Amino acid sequence: MTTVSTVVMADTFTSASISYSALMPMLIVFVVALAEVLVAGFATRESRHALQVGLSLIGLLGALAALLLGARFHQGVTASVADAAGSRQLGAVVVDGPTIFLQAGVLVLALLAVLIMSERLGGIGADAFTPMGAANPGSVQERAAQRAGLTTSEAFPLMMLAVGGMMLFVAAGDLLTLFVGLEVLSLPLYILTGLARRRRLLSQEAALKYFLLGAFSSAFLLFGAALLYGYAGSVYLSEIASAISAGQPDREVLLVPGVLLVLVGLLFKVGAVPFHSWTPDVYQGAPTPVTGFMAACTKLAAFGAMLRVVYVGAAGDRWNWSVVVVVIAALTMIVGAVMSVTQTDVKRLLAYSSIAHAGFILTGVLAFDVTGVSAVMFYLVTYGLTTIAAFGIVYLVRDVQSGSEATHLSQWAGLGRKHPVAAATFAFLMLAFAGIPLTSGFVAKLGAFGAAVGHGGASGAVLAVIGVLSSAITVFVYVRIIVMMYFTEPAENAVEVVSPSILAKVAIGFCAVLTLALGIAPKLLLDWAANASLFLS
Amino acid sequence: MTSGSEAVLFWILAPITVAGALGLLFARKAVYAALGIALAMVNLGVLYLALGAPFLGVVQVVVYTGAVMMLFLFVLMLVGVDSSDSIVETIKGQRVVSLALGLGLVGLLGSVIGQVSVGALPGEPKSVTDNGHINAMADLIFGKYVWVFEVTSALLITAALGAMVLAHRERIGERPTQRAWAARRVRTGEHVAGLPAPGVYARHNAVDTPALLPDGTASELSISRVLAARDQIEAPQGYAEISREMEQEITEGSTR
Repeated sequence: MTTVSTVVMADTFTSASISYSALMPMLIVFVVALAEVLVAGFATRESRHALQVGLSLIGLLGALAALLLGARFHQGVTASVADAAGSRQLGAVVVDGPTIFLQAGVLVLALLAVLIMSERLGGIGADAFTPMGAANPGSVQERAAQRAGLTTSEAFPLMMLAVGGMMLFVAAGDLLTLFVGLEVLSLPLYILTGLARRRRLLSQEAALKYFLLGAFSSAFLLFGAALLYGYAGSVYLSEIASAISAGQPDREVLLVPGVLLVLVGLLFKVGAVPFHSWTPDVYQGAPTPVTGFMAACTKLAAFGAMLRVVYVGAAGDRWNWSVVVVVIAALTMIVGAVMSVTQTDVKRLLAYSSIAHAGFILTGVLAFDVTGVSAVMFYLVTYGLTTIAAFGIVYLVRDVQSGSEATHLSQWAGLGRKHPVAAATFAFLMLAFAGIPLTSGFVAKLGAFGAAVGHGGASGAVLAVIGVLSSAITVFVYVRIIVMMYFTEPAENAVEVVSPSILAKVAIGFCAVLTLALGIAPKLLLDWAANASLFLS
Repeated sequence: MTSGSEAVLFWILAPITVAGALGLLFARKAVYAALGIALAMVNLGVLYLALGAPFLGVVQVVVYTGAVMMLFLFVLMLVGVDSSDSIVETIKGQRVVSLALGLGLVGLLGSVIGQVSVGALPGEPKSVTDNGHINAMADLIFGKYVWVFEVTSALLITAALGAMVLAHRERIGERPTQRAWAARRVRTGEHVAGLPAPGVYARHNAVDTPALLPDGTASELSISRVLAARDQIEAPQGYAEISREMEQEITEGSTR
C-alpha cells in the first residue's frame, strides 16, 4: 500500500481586482503593437508600410477613444489589492485626472509623430529608417537592401510598445510598475535611435550612448526604489506617503537618498543637468521624426511620473530633499540656455533648448501645489506639439545633392526667400519656444513661473527669475535662426524643403495651428488641466 | 548576523564575492571579467540560500550564472576572445574624476545604509510558512503584481524585435551556387584553381599553419583571415626546417 501525500494548501491567494475598462487604452496599444509585429513578420513587403501605418493610427485613435469614452468614467485604482489593514485599495495602476490628461497627451502626440514618421518621400518604406539595420553603414549590403526595397517596418511596433510604456509610466501607482513602465518605454527608443537611414554611424553611436546611460539611470531608480522599500516596507506610493507622515525613526536616513535616487532616474529621462549629457548626441543621431516623438512624449511621460512620485509619494518630506531639485532646476535652465547659444547644428540646438525647457517645467513641478500640476501638464502638451512640428520641418529641409537633412545652421541661410511657408512656420515655432505672447509657449511659461512664484516660496521666486533670464537668453538663439532664414544671403550649397505627403503636412500644420490657438485661446485646455490636476492616492 | 555558522559563511563568501566583482572591473581580458562576475553571482546565490530564500538562490545560479553569463561567454567566444577594449582616455582626467565621484557615492550610500537599525527581524511571512516559497512567490506574481508581470512581456517582445532588427541580415537575391562561383573564378581569372590549401608538412598538418610559396614565404591566402585577425597563426618555418632535415637524411641514406 502506498500512502498518498497531499500538500494542504491554505487558501491565501488573493487575486488583484482589475478593471479592464480602465486599462483598455493600454491594452489596445499593446495588442496593436503585437498585431504589427505579426505584420512585420508575415505581410508582403509591398503592403507592410500601409498596414503598419494604418494599424498604428487605428490603435492610437482607438486607445484615445477608449480613454475618453470609457476609462474616464472608471477612475480609481486598478490592478489593486487591499492593504494590510483592509481599509483601502493599493493599485499598481492609478487612473485619475492627471493620468487621463497625460495619457491623452501621449496618444495625441504619438498620433502626430506617426504621421510624420510614416513619410515616404516617394520611397517604398518610411524615409527616416534604414532599409536594413544589421547592414554595416556604407556597405555593399546596405546598398543592395536599398535597391531590393527592404524597409524597417518594425519601427512602428517598436513605437507602439514605447507608447504603451509611456501610458503605464504616467499611471504607475507603485515603484515596481514605475520601473517596468520606464523599461518598456525606453527599450524601444534605444532601438529606434539606431535606425536612421542617413549618417548611420552617428545614429548607432547615439543608440549605444543612450542605451548605456539609460541602463545606468534605470539602475539608480531601482536602487532608490529598494531604499524606499526599506524605509516604508512597501513599494506603493500611497503607503510610502503614509510611512512618511507616520515617521520611521529607525530608518529615517533611508528616505532622502531613496527619493533622490528615484528622481535621478526620472531626471535622466527628462534630460535635466547634470544628467543631460546624452540629450544632444541622441537628438542629433536619432532619425528626426523619432527625435520629435522622443522629445515630446518621453518628456511628457517622465514628467508625469515625476509629478506622481513627488506629489503622491514623497511630498511629505519635501523640505529635506527639494533643495537638491531646486539646484538641479536652476542648473538645467542656465546650462540649457547658455549651451544652446553656441550650437551650430539645428538638432543639437533644439536638444539644448529642450534641456532648458526641462528646467522651466521643473520649476512648475517644484511649486508643490495643484496649480503647479496643471501648469506642468499644460506646458508638456504645448511643448510637445511645438516640438513635433519643429522636428518635422527639420526633417524636410534637405541638402539637394546628398538628399540628407541639412542640419547645419549655415545651410538654413536664406531659406525664407525660397520656401516661405516652411520658414514662416519654423520661425513661428521658434517664437513659441521662446515664449513670445500669442503663442502657446507664453501661456505655458506664464503658468509654470506663476505657480512657482505663487506657491513655491522663496526658492520658487528665485527659480522664476532664473527662468525668465534663461528665456531671454534663448530668445537670442531663436531670433538668430530667424535672422539666418530671412536676412542672410543663401548659402552656396543649395538646400530645399522637400514636399511631404498630405499626412505629414496635416500633422505639422495641426501642431502649428494648435500652438497659435493655445496661445490666443488657451482656456479650454487650461480648464481641462486644472480640473484634472488632483491625484488619487 | 543571527547565528555563528551564518557569520562564518558570510565572512568566507563576502570577500570572494567582492573579489569577483573587482575582477570584472580590473580584468584586462573580457573572459576573465565574465568569469569574475560569474563567481560573484554564484556566491550571491549561496548567500541567498543561507538567508532562507531558496527560490531566489536557485534562480540566481540557474538564470544569472547558468544562462546569462554563459551566453555572454558564448558571445565572447564568437566575437573573438582576444578582442580587448581600447583603454585610451578620450577626455583628459576622466578616469580620476569618475573614480573620485564613484567612491564618493559609495561612501555616501554606505554611510547612510550603515546608520539604519532594522531592529528585530519579523521572521518569515505567514504565506511562506504556510505554503512554501514557490507558492508565496506565485501568489505575488499572479496576485498583487499580475499586471506588471504581464507588461513585462512587452519587454521581452521588444528585446526579440530589437535583436532581429539590429542583427538579422535578410538575404538579398539568390545564394551563389558552386557552379556560379566556379564560373566567376574563371571569368575573372583570379584563383582559377581555388585558394591554396593550408600547409602540409612532414610532421604537421593544421589549418592554422600557412602553406609556403616557392620562395619560402608564407602564403596568406592559405589561411582563414579570422585566424589571422586573432593572431593565431603558427609560423611554418620550423616545420619546413624539419622537413628539409628529413629530406637530407633520406638523401644521405640512399647515397650511402
